[in-house]
Amino acid sequence: MLLWFLRWQRLRGHTFDQLPKGLAKQPLSAVPLLAVDLELTSLDVANAQVLSVGWVEGSGSQIDLSSCNYQIIYSASDLQQSPVIHGLTDEVVRRGDNIKTVIEMLKKYVGTHLFVLHNTQLDMSVLNRAATSLGVYIPCVVTLDTLRLAVYHLKKQHELVPPDSATLAACRRRLQLPAAPAHNALDDALATLTLWFAQQHIMDPKHQLCVKDLLHTGALQLYSLGGRVTTANQMR
Amino acid sequence: MSTAPNQIIDFLSASAPFDHLPNNERERIAKQATLIYLTQTNKSVLLAQSQCLFLIQSGQFSVKDSDAPQRHLSEGDYFGIDGLIDRVDYALDVHVDMPGLVLCITHSSMYEAMQSAAFANFFTNAKSEALPNQAVLDSNSMWLHKPLAEVLNKAPVKADQAMDIHRAASLMAEQNVSSLLVTQNGKLVGIVTDRDLRNRVVATAAPLTRPISAVMTEDPVKISHNRTLFDAMSLMGEHNIHHLPVVENGAEKPIGMLTASDIVRHQRGNILFVIGELSKAQNLYELTRASWQIPHYFAMHAKRPGDFDIAGKVLAQATDIMTRKLITFYQQQQGAAPMAYCWVVYGSQAREDQSMGSDQDNALLLAHRPDRLEAEYFSGLANYVCNGLAKCGIALCSGNIMASNPDLRLSLDDAIEEARQWVRQPTPKAIMTFNIFLDARAAAGDTALFKRLQAARAPLLQQRSFLAALARHNNHISVPLSVFQKFVFEKGGNDEDAIDLKKNAVAIINNIVRLYALASAVSMPSTLARLDNLPETAGLVRKDAENLRDIWLFLNRLRWRHQLTRNVVDNRVSMSELSSIEKHQLKAAFKAIDRAQQAAVMKYSGGIS
Repeated sequence: MLLWFLRWQRLRGHTFDQLPKGLAKQPLSAVPLLAVDLELTSLDVANAQVLSVGWVEGSGSQIDLSSCNYQIIYSASDLQQSPVIHGLTDEVVRRGDNIKTVIEMLKKYVGTHLFVLHNTQLDMSVLNRAATSLGVYIPCVVTLDTLRLAVYHLKKQHELVPPDSATLAACRRRLQLPAAPAHNALDDALATLTLWFAQQHIMDPKHQLCVKDLLHTGALQLYSLGGRVTTANQMR
Repeated sequence: MSTAPNQIIDFLSASAPFDHLPNNERERIAKQATLIYLTQTNKSVLLAQSQCLFLIQSGQFSVKDSDAPQRHLSEGDYFGIDGLIDRVDYALDVHVDMPGLVLCITHSSMYEAMQSAAFANFFTNAKSEALPNQAVLDSNSMWLHKPLAEVLNKAPVKADQAMDIHRAASLMAEQNVSSLLVTQNGKLVGIVTDRDLRNRVVATAAPLTRPISAVMTEDPVKISHNRTLFDAMSLMGEHNIHHLPVVENGAEKPIGMLTASDIVRHQRGNILFVIGELSKAQNLYELTRASWQIPHYFAMHAKRPGDFDIAGKVLAQATDIMTRKLITFYQQQQGAAPMAYCWVVYGSQAREDQSMGSDQDNALLLAHRPDRLEAEYFSGLANYVCNGLAKCGIALCSGNIMASNPDLRLSLDDAIEEARQWVRQPTPKAIMTFNIFLDARAAAGDTALFKRLQAARAPLLQQRSFLAALARHNNHISVPLSVFQKFVFEKGGNDEDAIDLKKNAVAIINNIVRLYALASAVSMPSTLARLDNLPETAGLVRKDAENLRDIWLFLNRLRWRHQLTRNVVDNRVSMSELSSIEKHQLKAAFKAIDRAQQAAVMKYSGGIS
C-alpha cells in the first residue's frame, strides 16, 4: 500500500511538474478550452490519414458558436470506407486543405488552451505522425480526455467497464445530453466539449477545482507533436 | 472555414418557429448563437449577458422571465422572449432543476428573423396565449378545397387557331364536349363554346371554312391548375361564365376545361353527399352498403383542417338517419308502435362529435310503462335497430348502453325518477355510470317526449351539491403534461409517444363545458353549441369560451387527421405525427385546459377536488 502510494505520488508529481504552470492552477470553470476531433480513414494509427478536423473554443460552460471550425484535409490516398462513414467523397477531399495549415492553426492554441478530446491517444498519435513528417514541432499540448474521464467514473461503479459504455454517444446519454449526429469532426468536437461541461458539473459542482485536480483521474495528458524531420513516409 | 455544427442546425430545424426559416437564415442564427451548459452554479454568470432568446435543448428549469408566473420548462421550450418583444430588460429568475444545454440566440438575430410576420406571430401569439388557429374561421365545405388538378378528369380537347370551323365543330362532336380550347404554338389564345357556334356561326351564316380563331372568345378568363375548386367557382360566378380553361401554373399551356356541370358533379364528393345516399336506401342491404362507403368518403374528401370540424357532425347526422331508416324498416314489418316513444342518443353521437371509432350509445324513452306485449314490441325494435347499426359500422356498445338493454327502455316517469336518484347520491361510482347520460339528444320518434324529460331533469341537475360532485369527479382525469411541461405518454400500445387525445383532452373539455351548461340549464348536448349558448351569467368569460372552442376544434382536427391518414379508429395520436408548431400548440392547449379545469373546480366545488 505504501509502495503504491509512493509510486502514485511520483507519477503525480512527475506529470504535475510537466504541466505548464499557467494552465495547472487555472480553475476548471475558467480555463480556455479547445475541443478537437479528427475524422480518419482508419482506426489503425500507423496508416490512418486525416480526412477532416473540427474544433471549437469554449470556456466556463459556454461556447461561442462562431468559433466553430471545420477543415477538410487534402488526401491523395485511398479513402477506404470513409465516404460511407463520414460522407466525405474523393472529390471533396481532393479539394481539401493541407494538413500543415491545420496543424499551424491548432498550434496557436497550445500553451493557453486545454485541448479536449474523446480518445486523445488515437487523434494525438495521428497528429504526431503528421507533424513529424512535416517537420513541425509542438511541445506541451495539454489534453483532457473525456473518454478516460468517463472510464474513471465507470470503474468506480463496475469491476469491468461494460462494452460500448464509454463511446461518445453512450457517455452523453448517461449524462442526459441530447443525441448528436456522429462522424462529422466538428459535430463530434462540439459533442465532446458539451460532454466535458456535463462531466465537469458532476465533478466540480461548486466550481472549486483547478486543472491539476484532474491529474488523479488519468484524463490529463501531455503530448509533444513531431520533433524531428523524417525522410521516409513523408506525409502530404 | 467557419461552419455551423449540424447538431445546432438540426435542433433549430426541429424547433418552431425556426423550422420555417430558410436554411441560410437558420445557419446565420446558429453561427451567431452561444451554447451554454446551464447549472445552478453558473447561471448567474451565463444569464447576465445581453438580451437573448434562450432555447432549451436539454435539462429542466423553473423560469420567471416576465410579470407572468413562474413556468417549468424543458427541452423545446424557450424563455426570455418577453424582454425581446417588449424591449424591456426583465429580470430573469431561473432555477436549474436539472442542468442542460441551452442555445442563446442573440437579440440581433431574433429581430432580424422577426421581420418575417409568421415568425414574429408565433411568439406574440404564444404570449397572448391565443392558439394560432386562423383556420377555425375557414370555410368548412370540404369539396370546395379540392385542387383543380384533382378535379380534371379528361384530357384537354384543343385545336390550333388555324383549324377551320367545320373541323373544330366535328372535333367537339367527336369528343362529346361543349367547349374547345384554341391554341397557338401550344399556348391558350381563346375558347369556343356551343353558344359561340350558335351565335357567331349558325346565326350569322358564317362560312365553315373560316379559321376557328375568327369566332373564338379571345383571351378568355382562365385559372391555374394549383388553385381550388372554390377559386374556380368564384371566378365563374364573378364573370358569369360556364367554361373555365385551366392552365399550367406560370405557362399558358392549357391542361383542361372546367365546366359548370363538372362543378355539379363534384358536389357528389361532398361528404354531405353520404347523407343523401343513406336517405335513399330502401332496405337494410342498401343502407349498410351506403354506410360502408362513409369511411371512404371521409378519407377521399376530407383534406383540410376545416373539413374535420364538420366531420363529426356529418357522421352523427348519418348515424341519426341510419337509426330512423332502421326504425322505419322495422315498422314496415311489425306495424306501428303501440305508444309514443323517443329514440334517445347519448355521448359522442349526442354531442355530434362522433369519430370513426365511436360506438353506439342509445336508449328508448317510452310514454308510459309498457305491458308485456308492448315491451316485446320495443324489445324487438331496439334489438333490430342496434344490430342494424352494428351492420352499418357503428359498433355495439361494450358498456351495453343501448336500447337493446331492458334497463334503458324506461318510461318518462321512471327516467325522471332515475335522475332524482343520481342527484340524491352522486357517488363517484354512480357518476361513472350516469355521466354519459348527461349529453343526450332525441334522434327519432316523439321529440316532445324527450323535451318533457329534459324539462323535468334540468332543475334537478342544476343543484349545487350535484354539480360539486361532478366537478370533483371530472378532476380525476388531467391533461398529460408533467410538471416540467413534458408530454406524458400512454403506456402500452405500439407507439411510445402516443397520447389519447379523446380521453386526456377532448373529454376534459366536454366535461368542463357540460358543468357550465348544466348549471345554466342549457339543454343542447353539443360542446360547441353549449359554448355558444352559455349565458353571460354562466361564469365562463367570453374569451375563455372562445379559447376552449378553438382548442376543442384543434384537438378534433388532430384526431380526425390521425384516424383518416392512418386508417385507424383510435384516438392515440403519436407526437411524431405532429409538426413542431403543432406540438407547441398542443402544449399550450393542454395548459389552457388545465387552467379551465381548475377554474371549474374552484367555481363548483369550492376548490375541493
